[in-house]
Amino acid sequence: MSPAMLQVKTASKHFLGLKAVDEVSLTVRPGEIVSIIGPNGAGKTTFFNLLTGQLAPTSGEVLFEGQPINHLPPHARARLGMGRTFQISKPLIALTALENVMIGAFLRDAPLSVARDKAMLVLEKVGLARLAMRRAGDLTLSERRRLEVARALALQPKIMLLDEVMAGLNQSEVGQAIELLQGLHAQGLTFLIIEHNLKVVRAFSERVVVLDRGRHIAEGSADDILNSPAVIQAYLGDGHMGKGGTDVPASATGEHA
Amino acid sequence: MSDLINVLMFGLLLGGIYGLVSIGLNLIFGVVRIVNFAQGELVMFGMYGSYYAYSQWGMSPYVSVFLVAPAVGLLGMAIQRLVIQPLHNESNMQIFATFGLLMMFENIMLMVSRGEALSIGGDVGAEVVSVGDMKFSLVRVVTLVAVTLITIGLHFFLSRTMMGKAIRAVTQDKRAARTVGIHVERTYLFTFGIGAALAGMAGAMLTPIYSITPTVGGNFILAAFAVVVLGGLGSVWGAYWGGLIVGVVEALAGFYIDPVLRSAIWFLIFLVVLVVKPAGLLGQVGAEEVGFREQH
Amino acid sequence: MNNIDTNQRDAHAGQGVMASTNKVLITYLLSMVLAALPIVLLVDDAHWLNILAFTYLMGGLAAAWNIIGGFGGQFSLGHGVFFAIGAYMTAQGVIRFGWSPWVTMLPIAAVAALVAMLISWPTFRLRGPFFAIATLAFNEVAFVLANHFDSFTGGPRGLMIPFKAGFANMIFRERWQYALLMFAFVALVVGVSVWLRRSRLGYYLLAVREDEDAARASGINVLSVKLRGMAISAFLTAMGGSLFTMYLRYIDPPTLFTLPEVGVKFALLALIGGIGTIAGPLLGAALIIPFENHLRAEMANALPGLNLAVLGLLMVLAALFMKRGIVGAFEDARKRWFGPKEDKP
Repeated sequence: MSPAMLQVKTASKHFLGLKAVDEVSLTVRPGEIVSIIGPNGAGKTTFFNLLTGQLAPTSGEVLFEGQPINHLPPHARARLGMGRTFQISKPLIALTALENVMIGAFLRDAPLSVARDKAMLVLEKVGLARLAMRRAGDLTLSERRRLEVARALALQPKIMLLDEVMAGLNQSEVGQAIELLQGLHAQGLTFLIIEHNLKVVRAFSERVVVLDRGRHIAEGSADDILNSPAVIQAYLGDGHMGKGGTDVPASATGEHA
Repeated sequence: MSDLINVLMFGLLLGGIYGLVSIGLNLIFGVVRIVNFAQGELVMFGMYGSYYAYSQWGMSPYVSVFLVAPAVGLLGMAIQRLVIQPLHNESNMQIFATFGLLMMFENIMLMVSRGEALSIGGDVGAEVVSVGDMKFSLVRVVTLVAVTLITIGLHFFLSRTMMGKAIRAVTQDKRAARTVGIHVERTYLFTFGIGAALAGMAGAMLTPIYSITPTVGGNFILAAFAVVVLGGLGSVWGAYWGGLIVGVVEALAGFYIDPVLRSAIWFLIFLVVLVVKPAGLLGQVGAEEVGFREQH
Repeated sequence: MNNIDTNQRDAHAGQGVMASTNKVLITYLLSMVLAALPIVLLVDDAHWLNILAFTYLMGGLAAAWNIIGGFGGQFSLGHGVFFAIGAYMTAQGVIRFGWSPWVTMLPIAAVAALVAMLISWPTFRLRGPFFAIATLAFNEVAFVLANHFDSFTGGPRGLMIPFKAGFANMIFRERWQYALLMFAFVALVVGVSVWLRRSRLGYYLLAVREDEDAARASGINVLSVKLRGMAISAFLTAMGGSLFTMYLRYIDPPTLFTLPEVGVKFALLALIGGIGTIAGPLLGAALIIPFENHLRAEMANALPGLNLAVLGLLMVLAALFMKRGIVGAFEDARKRWFGPKEDKP
């Protein structure tokens, strides 16, 4: 059993009596792809924020490569090797695509030319090289999401935390995105993703974790989970799940195109 | 001991003035979510308007307030429509714009008045009310009473009338308000108008006791910021109690330490509140809006 | 938050990130030579040399503000405090100890940088307008303190430096020498801006401006970046204050702390020229300072305050219609004439 890369031990986050995350435990091993699914309001993004350091847990522990990181701020976690993207994509609008990725690359290399060249390589890897000099504000949604992945990749992370990176993309864009992620995974990157799109979950997960109302209610392989009655109940109970395998409407993610 | 009481009473009366000036600012911030740097200038306009009504037509400020306040209110609506609305998501440019308005208004009045300090003359301002052996300026007492009445009035306005409820809805959640059919931009317009009218009203009522210069607005704006933050953004009662507290603290500090320290007091209050309890005493608006963030 | 603010700011100056260091250096040197030309052309006109000197000085101060305000997106209205630190400490150094301003300038600037970091540390957690209010309040408090501690500042009467010409005293007989001094200052600040803009810290400042959460997720210690940017900005601003003192040889609290003349003006010049750009602050100064001087000289007697009223109006109009300033207007014109820039590097 390989040592865990990311380990969460009964983490909770309370907001004035609301248990947004309620004693959730999770382990991600190196090279794994783990998906987190669950109806809206299940606490998935809040849970993510506990992992990335934007929120501190009310109780419980978060460990990265064995080290407790409960109180480590987000920038230190990035340094340790955690890359993340945001549910509402956050490109640095006034900068070019290349400069966006350079921001990530600067973490490992201070000189401008080194950061620039490495950023260029990352852009090629994600297929955005031809847009290097385009202002990030002028990119399409699919390109922006790719850019955000690129920026995180430039950190040379060990694990990528993607928050609904497929939201708002059309069929073919989703397909291309999955290809990209699979390629990165093949090169050894570990993934922990939040996804609404169950097709993506099927195509790109080894293990699926289900959250509902802040609690961990199921965990298993993609097939097991997506056919599990408990999971279907959790979704149907909130009136969200369509026929098995189709999109769960990614409700107000508030994505600005 | 009687010194202390005197100081406290003075502080309360001063607080009444601050409350009056700050209520409009608070309302504007709570709803439109902008910091109106030019609020002090609207008070100044109220003062000048009231002064001219007095010197030209012999109108007492307590009468001309009914003309002056709506006039300043209209100016406020114009500002909202022409300057603020176009910049509605750009908080940095709003700073420039409202500060630019501050400079414009102050200096236009400077050009018009040629820097003369105007004063409405002693008779109204010198009246005192005696309680035991303590004497209080009548105008200040009236101001305190007025701000109390205004606050109560606003409270009912906000809780009982349609527009008032619309204002509260927009304060809490602009998007949700829109989905239930509230016309958000019109609410902004109206709120800015009320906020400006309140400032004009404050100016008119303070005319008897202040020497009117173009820079008089600057006297209030920093204190008003402290009051608004202390009381809690978007809360009318917050501005009321916040004003009283700031007035008392300032009076105490002025008496026991040094009157010159007023701006330091305001600033200290501002900073301490934002660090310790960003939502203020009665804040409607959450910490993110006020500006407090996790320190990383 | 500020995402929408910035979509009008341009991505980079000139060729930006792909330009080689040599090219940048040459562009900088050529531009500076061009900027210095007026000194040569006006060398006999004391009146215009005075305006020129102020233009350079204010351009440098605007460029210094631009480092934290433009690159970093932190709209400080309180830079007058650092300006005043440079002014008062330099003056006291000369008056009380006879120390040459050349020698004291850098240590004094370091003091200002330290003060800047101390007072910014608690206030950087505040957002947009609240940060601005806090800096405004600092300015107010400093004004009060300056009036109060008159043993150090001369109080309301101010401080006067007696005229004793000499290079070591930084007091010159010829106007053109002052103009050259001020030019050296703006050249320095612009040079620092160019260097910063191409450094990791510069890029980090931009990232913090654009989106703090994204910056944190990219490994950036946001507070540290803001503090460092503020320190550099304050350092250079204080230097400007030192030069200002030696030029005017008289300083008092109103001169140093009146916002529309000092703290806010730095920001205004940067806005009009092009906030966040390299050339913007100096261009803004070149446009506004002579114009304002004209207003003040011609009209001030008839209409006191006209110059500031006009500046206020300009500020409102610029915020509404010309957010990207002169530089932005040039970029737009260039795009219309020559088409958008190539995508390939």
